[in-house]
Amino acid sequence: MGPKFSRREFFRRSSAAGAVGATVAATASAEVHPPGWRGTTRVETIATNCEMCFWRCGVRAEVAHGKVLKLEGNPDHPLTKGRLCARGNSGPKLLYDPDRLKYPMLRVGARGEGKFKRISWDQALDFLADRLTQLKQKYGPEGVAFFPHGVASTFFLTLMRAYGTHNIAEPAFAQCRGPREVGYALTFGQGLGSPEPVDLAESKMIVLIGTHIGENVFTSQITAFADGLSRGAKLIVVDPRFSTAAAKADWWLPIRPGTDIALLLAWMHVLIGEDLYDKEYISKYAQGFTELAAHVKEFTPEWAETITELPAAKIRATARAMAAAKPAVALHPGRHTTWYGDDTQRARAMAIVTALLGSWGRKGGIFLPTEIKTGSFALPAFPQPKRPRADGAGTRFPLASEEQGVTNGLVDATVSGEPYPIKAWIVYGQNVLESIPQRSRTLEAIDKLDLMVVVDVLPMEQTYYADLVLPEATYLERYDMPQIAHSAKQPYIAVRQPSVEPLYESKPGWWIAQQMAQRLGLEAYFPWKTPREHLETLVKPLGVNIDKLLTRGAVTFPGRPYIEDRLPEDGPLFPTQSGKIELYSPLLKQLGFDPLPRYTPVDEPPVGYFRLIYGRAPVHSFARSQNNAWLDALMDENTAWINEDAARDLRLTNGQKIVLENQDGVRSLPIRVSVTQGIRRDCLYMVHGFGHESQRLHLAYHRGASDTELMTRVKVDPIMGGTGMRVNFVRVLKSA
Amino acid sequence: MARYAMVTDITKCVGCQACTVACNSEWDVPTGFARTHVHSTGVAGKFPDVISSFYVAQCNHCDHPACVAPCPTGATYQAENGIVMVDRDLCIGCGYCVEACPYDARYINPVTKKVDKCDFCWGRIQKGLEPACVATCTAHAKFFGDLEDPQSEVYKMVYEQGARRLETAEVAIGPNVYYLGKKEHVDLLLATFPPRHPRLLRAGEVWHRYLKPFILAAIGATFLGQAIAFFHQLYSGEDQFEDWE
Repeated sequence: MGPKFSRREFFRRSSAAGAVGATVAATASAEVHPPGWRGTTRVETIATNCEMCFWRCGVRAEVAHGKVLKLEGNPDHPLTKGRLCARGNSGPKLLYDPDRLKYPMLRVGARGEGKFKRISWDQALDFLADRLTQLKQKYGPEGVAFFPHGVASTFFLTLMRAYGTHNIAEPAFAQCRGPREVGYALTFGQGLGSPEPVDLAESKMIVLIGTHIGENVFTSQITAFADGLSRGAKLIVVDPRFSTAAAKADWWLPIRPGTDIALLLAWMHVLIGEDLYDKEYISKYAQGFTELAAHVKEFTPEWAETITELPAAKIRATARAMAAAKPAVALHPGRHTTWYGDDTQRARAMAIVTALLGSWGRKGGIFLPTEIKTGSFALPAFPQPKRPRADGAGTRFPLASEEQGVTNGLVDATVSGEPYPIKAWIVYGQNVLESIPQRSRTLEAIDKLDLMVVVDVLPMEQTYYADLVLPEATYLERYDMPQIAHSAKQPYIAVRQPSVEPLYESKPGWWIAQQMAQRLGLEAYFPWKTPREHLETLVKPLGVNIDKLLTRGAVTFPGRPYIEDRLPEDGPLFPTQSGKIELYSPLLKQLGFDPLPRYTPVDEPPVGYFRLIYGRAPVHSFARSQNNAWLDALMDENTAWINEDAARDLRLTNGQKIVLENQDGVRSLPIRVSVTQGIRRDCLYMVHGFGHESQRLHLAYHRGASDTELMTRVKVDPIMGGTGMRVNFVRVLKSA
Repeated sequence: MARYAMVTDITKCVGCQACTVACNSEWDVPTGFARTHVHSTGVAGKFPDVISSFYVAQCNHCDHPACVAPCPTGATYQAENGIVMVDRDLCIGCGYCVEACPYDARYINPVTKKVDKCDFCWGRIQKGLEPACVATCTAHAKFFGDLEDPQSEVYKMVYEQGARRLETAEVAIGPNVYYLGKKEHVDLLLATFPPRHPRLLRAGEVWHRYLKPFILAAIGATFLGQAIAFFHQLYSGEDQFEDWE
């Protein structure tokens, strides 16, 4: 009996017989589809954490021959358990982006012109040290402002505080989560922190107000959200746009923009009026209930219907549904919350609803942080600045965070020279032209500077205005301050360590800061030689084996997330002045603000204009990732979502290119229209971060339109200085 | 014998494309191509009564794959565990299978000039890993397993929770990728992304698309050669041959 050959086997044998063409093809396919390369090539895996956004998911870099082949999720990471989003998976394309900043550069042309000359690190650092010394003599150390972002900037923060300035502000506060932190701290005595302690996976009712989980992707938050839904949690989504989350909702409330406080007041009215709130919790933990009950008596769902354009019956039904699920109600506090200038009050209203449902510190609601005590170096005290902060934190904006500062306050001070001149900006890890609204004002401020320094990975538009550009190594090439996540259910410490050597002449941030400290005579603030030494000191009190930490990437500690778990060492449950949940805020009263949230109307779009609203796409991080080849392939431009009926009136067709003009005559780059039934008629939505102006970003340059460019107006929150940005209006032009 | 299948729970999927990029990264898929990809259905209905969902597209490893028969070299074949495989040593990049697939799950890799598609990450499975898309899925919405194993998640989702195949009355070839979700959402997927009729190349098409251009090119080359020889002779004159005799 002869062997049976299938057609396939026949061809295999004939090709194996030695045709040259087949050998060539086999080699090529081995490169593209490395069959079993995990087995054949010695691949080293390095545990680190991601910086494609600030969530810092656990990553395992697979490295061979000094090159990162692939990023896998790290299954040992307590929060993300091996999962990574599209951006996280795209890390290698940032590392190997040909457009990266490659060496230090000194400006030779005019600001904005983009002409630079290459210099050495020694020249760059000497130049900077000289200029900082001169500036200190001439204007005082407070004349230098620092714009950092995130935990990676820790070493620069130390440097700048040691230099003597407290004019430090990051957009994470006044352009993002500031109102939320302040509003919740006013109510519960503490803010939320990051990662947000929202117990989505255990919840019976998830409530999202403007939060667009799904398009806004933080890996573990998505997992918890989806797992919660699949375990039967109900979902209420309040959003003028039919978001990904809205498409999963049991109730979608397409609210009239800017009227959320009216909805929240009506919910309180129903919860209290129908006796649906958590009475035991409120009587045990809260103060000010009588005032609150009297305050919301008039805010009926019928009253709210006239304001929010949501049916009163639906407002009532959703309030009752929330009450039925209490206390396992996860009313998500949001993250980017600077919308209308009344944002702290909206956060207060959300916090109060959370309290009425008894959800703070309860399973399925908002859980509590657990402090883990890390070690520190005995540093000399930072010099005490002689003049008050220039950004208004603590003065003009009484409840602004002095830790995170008010970016727009610093811009104002730089433009006006009041209360004193700010003559230098050092920018690290953010793009001030995209992260701060009112771009022309930011440029006006830059124009007043004697020195602007940008430390960045990519040639973002702000580098065009810098005097000195310092190329930083990417997160895959550097050590950073580890992430210490107190606000995770099980708190953890997670390391970032280099997977490969820095490419080109890029250098890690810690090295740059340390070198500067040496040149400025501030070595005493950096009493460690290597990153390992730094890490050893940090983790010493935790009793963690440092090699285990570096191998696994993260180590977890027991958390005490719910009220019943708390120990005396966790401190007071509600660290407010009264030690109770402050439904009524004596502090706001004392500062001259409404002690109970009140709805105040927002400006309406003029006839012919839409309200400009914006948000995120799952495949991009702010304005940072548009030049990433894999992410660009998935989304290379943003679009303008316009309601189908409104589009018909304007004779717009899907995919047509238009130009947007805002209320002040500022025009956008051309942008395509997405005609949809999934948005209210009165708003126009676009994803933030597109329309880059830097020609050195070869993929991102002039793709899509910038929402930031159209934000020529802001409404500043008087309580904490946040810039409300949803107060701009645009109309459609069919051509530029 | 195992019968491998995948289930996407579209009540959970948020369309974040993590799977797409993880797959690109795992398999070095050239930019602009994909072995798996997520598509939005867009918004259906009238404001505010609207729905939408996500479709995660990939090879369905069908019970009766439309791509196997058209393959002239036998490069595409179905393994006993149900996985439709491509033997890249045998593939000549003719693209017949690309045309044949009702789910448009195949592409010709411009670097290798060979066909490429999802193989459920067979290389990872053999090492005890999950497929790259399943491992990375942020929404914990993708499940891979053996339909012959009643303990597997996919068995439960398919046989107990009613996960559905994207099949129509016209095109029903037994896809082994299933979608779990509300009826209206799966219906919307099917209405928006129905499997198309397999485009099997007929004799006439083979003639027009492959043979005719080849023959015309051959004839053209012949005439061109003749013409070159003619003008060469015209300008440089006829070679004078020495008479050896």
